[in-house]
Amino acid sequence: MSFVSASKRLLTLTVSQSSAFCRCVTAKISSRSPLACVQTQALRRGICSSQVTQPLRSENKVTVNFVNRDGEKITVKANPGDTLLDVVIDQDLDFDGFGACEGTLACSTCHLVFDEEVFKQLGPITDEEMDMLDLAYGLTDTSRLGCQICLTKALDGMTARVPESVADIRQSDGSA
Amino acid sequence: MSIQSTILRVGRKTLLADVVTTPFLLRTHSLHKTATSGSLRVAAEHSGADDLVPPAIEVGDVQKGTRVKSLKEMPGPSAFGNLIEFFYRDGFSRIHEIQMEHSQKYGKIFKSRFGPQLVVSIAGRDLLAQVLRAEGVAPQRANMESWKEYRDISGRSTGLISAEGDDWLKMRSVLRQLIMRPRDVAAFSDDVSAVVVDLVKRIKVLRSQQADRHTVLNINDMYFKYAMEGISTILYESRLGCLEDSIPKTSQEYITALNLMFSSFKTTMYAGAIPKWLRPVIPSPGGKFCSSWDGLFKFSQMHVDKKLADIRAKMVRGEAVQGGLLTHMLVTMEMNKEEITANMTEMLLAGVDTTSFTLSWATYLLARHPHVQQQIFEEVTQTLGGRMPTANDVPNLPLIRGLVKETLRLFPVLPGNGRITQDDLIVGGYFLPKGTQLALCHFSTSMSEENFPGADDFRPDRWIRKDQSDRVDNFGSIPFGYGIRSCIGRRIAELEMHLALTQILQNFRIEVSPETEDIKAKTHGLLCPGAPIDLKFVDRV
Repeated sequence: MSFVSASKRLLTLTVSQSSAFCRCVTAKISSRSPLACVQTQALRRGICSSQVTQPLRSENKVTVNFVNRDGEKITVKANPGDTLLDVVIDQDLDFDGFGACEGTLACSTCHLVFDEEVFKQLGPITDEEMDMLDLAYGLTDTSRLGCQICLTKALDGMTARVPESVADIRQSDGSA
Repeated sequence: MSIQSTILRVGRKTLLADVVTTPFLLRTHSLHKTATSGSLRVAAEHSGADDLVPPAIEVGDVQKGTRVKSLKEMPGPSAFGNLIEFFYRDGFSRIHEIQMEHSQKYGKIFKSRFGPQLVVSIAGRDLLAQVLRAEGVAPQRANMESWKEYRDISGRSTGLISAEGDDWLKMRSVLRQLIMRPRDVAAFSDDVSAVVVDLVKRIKVLRSQQADRHTVLNINDMYFKYAMEGISTILYESRLGCLEDSIPKTSQEYITALNLMFSSFKTTMYAGAIPKWLRPVIPSPGGKFCSSWDGLFKFSQMHVDKKLADIRAKMVRGEAVQGGLLTHMLVTMEMNKEEITANMTEMLLAGVDTTSFTLSWATYLLARHPHVQQQIFEEVTQTLGGRMPTANDVPNLPLIRGLVKETLRLFPVLPGNGRITQDDLIVGGYFLPKGTQLALCHFSTSMSEENFPGADDFRPDRWIRKDQSDRVDNFGSIPFGYGIRSCIGRRIAELEMHLALTQILQNFRIEVSPETEDIKAKTHGLLCPGAPIDLKFVDRV
């Protein structure tokens, strides 16, 4: 499917851009250029991938388990402050069609399902996210959008399940 | 993420290559929070009439064991009937009504012929969901040849509305990172509020010119200027003066070009139905269309050039460069200057009428439903007292959000949208080969009793959730579209409308004027009021 390869292309692009950014930031910091204020703000926003700018020791990481559409469990280490969509992209996890709008709240393809106890700890949900969830396929009472969930230490060891997509159903019917 | 990468490229990109050493300061948050336009959506909607084939469609995915039917078996009006409907009976201005009639007659999926073009209409909520969820990374909207033609002739770049495929994806990836996240758009709250304050003043000036001291004639004209002022503030980081008593000449010229553009829109739709080989016989409306495009581009070009000169001058003087959306785009040059200009043009174009029509309908509906107006007014008063609203207040004003949603359900600016399928699909039991032109019938689904009980009623509170787990199944009304090709200006448009409606309600009781008749909608590219709306704005207090 062209969708798969195209979305991959997109993800790779994003990742490579962000790492390029971090490299450059580091370079600028060391040269103490006037760009420093740009960097400071960017860093404060925590958007950079941290292994370049702020090496985190592994004990600061949060363990996240994903269960993919085939029921397989994938365990990764992630940085607090990252969204679950960031984690999927940074770790290059292959969930077909996931995060199509790049976390801009225009789709619901980063839909994830949580256990009830985890769901309660996920933080507030905005109207815009609820509106998008209304349009999610296979919505449950413990559904959220991955792009809106920021990791915290308290979420260490959490599990997020990737729900079935329309494409899976088409494939299992053998009709497309 | 791409914004950050952008910022960093600042240091090395061509524009600034020779001045890297000058102090360079970007307001990162405002960059990130940059913004834009109303609604990048364009109608591509055709359907037809006549002929009787019974509706046969059940909603949903393909069921196992069911025979998949071919396009030939799909019901729909005859090609001849359609020709009469659209060309003889001026169906273009009634597209939304024809869409309803046909969906009632032929079901949730039907086919029509529109000149040489076969169009499959999707008029069921669940089928619509299925089609939109199956979209790839660069969904193609429809035949935008008349728009493209101008770019080919003039050598200008396409923007988000007119571009397709990789070109589209590249620009979309840049722009969505700037203006789609609600929290980024919230950064424009103060700028937009300042424009709303001017709108309120403008209402007072306009009504004072009428004998009764209350009526504002043709409210859409006023909202048009509000929307234009609002979107320019965000896009160009400058005020145009559209809400002043005398509008500056360049802004007035732009308004004229925009009106010309829309008046030729319908003719360009006719043109789409004329086969290319007939063009020498039936001339295309290109002339007028192109000259209005020229006017629109000229305006963006002027703003872009001016901003670029400002930035360069600052850098030469060694001053820090600060700014919003346009500054950010020009400094980072993730898109080239032609692309920036084309997108500025298209975003401004898309962000004016769309917002103004919706504001016109919303205030019209409030005037016609005083009880609803009172209910919303009370919510506003309880939440804000007399304080001016900001973006942060909107979550606490659920009825204001409901008002915008309900207005767009009853009067979706874009009554239908287009898609060209990029894979073979089975929808509603029919096989649709890759490359099929679809018409997504948003008007039919949002007016369907099945999707919205009491569909003809104006009930903003139908959108209120009882609690966070309360789901409002709303694929039936997706006025901004859904997914990767949905309206990029959605959050900006929402902000402009939420803040304007709240302040208007705080200041005025809106009433129908004796001249206000029952206003019907008509399609003119977009769904718009069929006659001028005059309303009374009576001071609260």
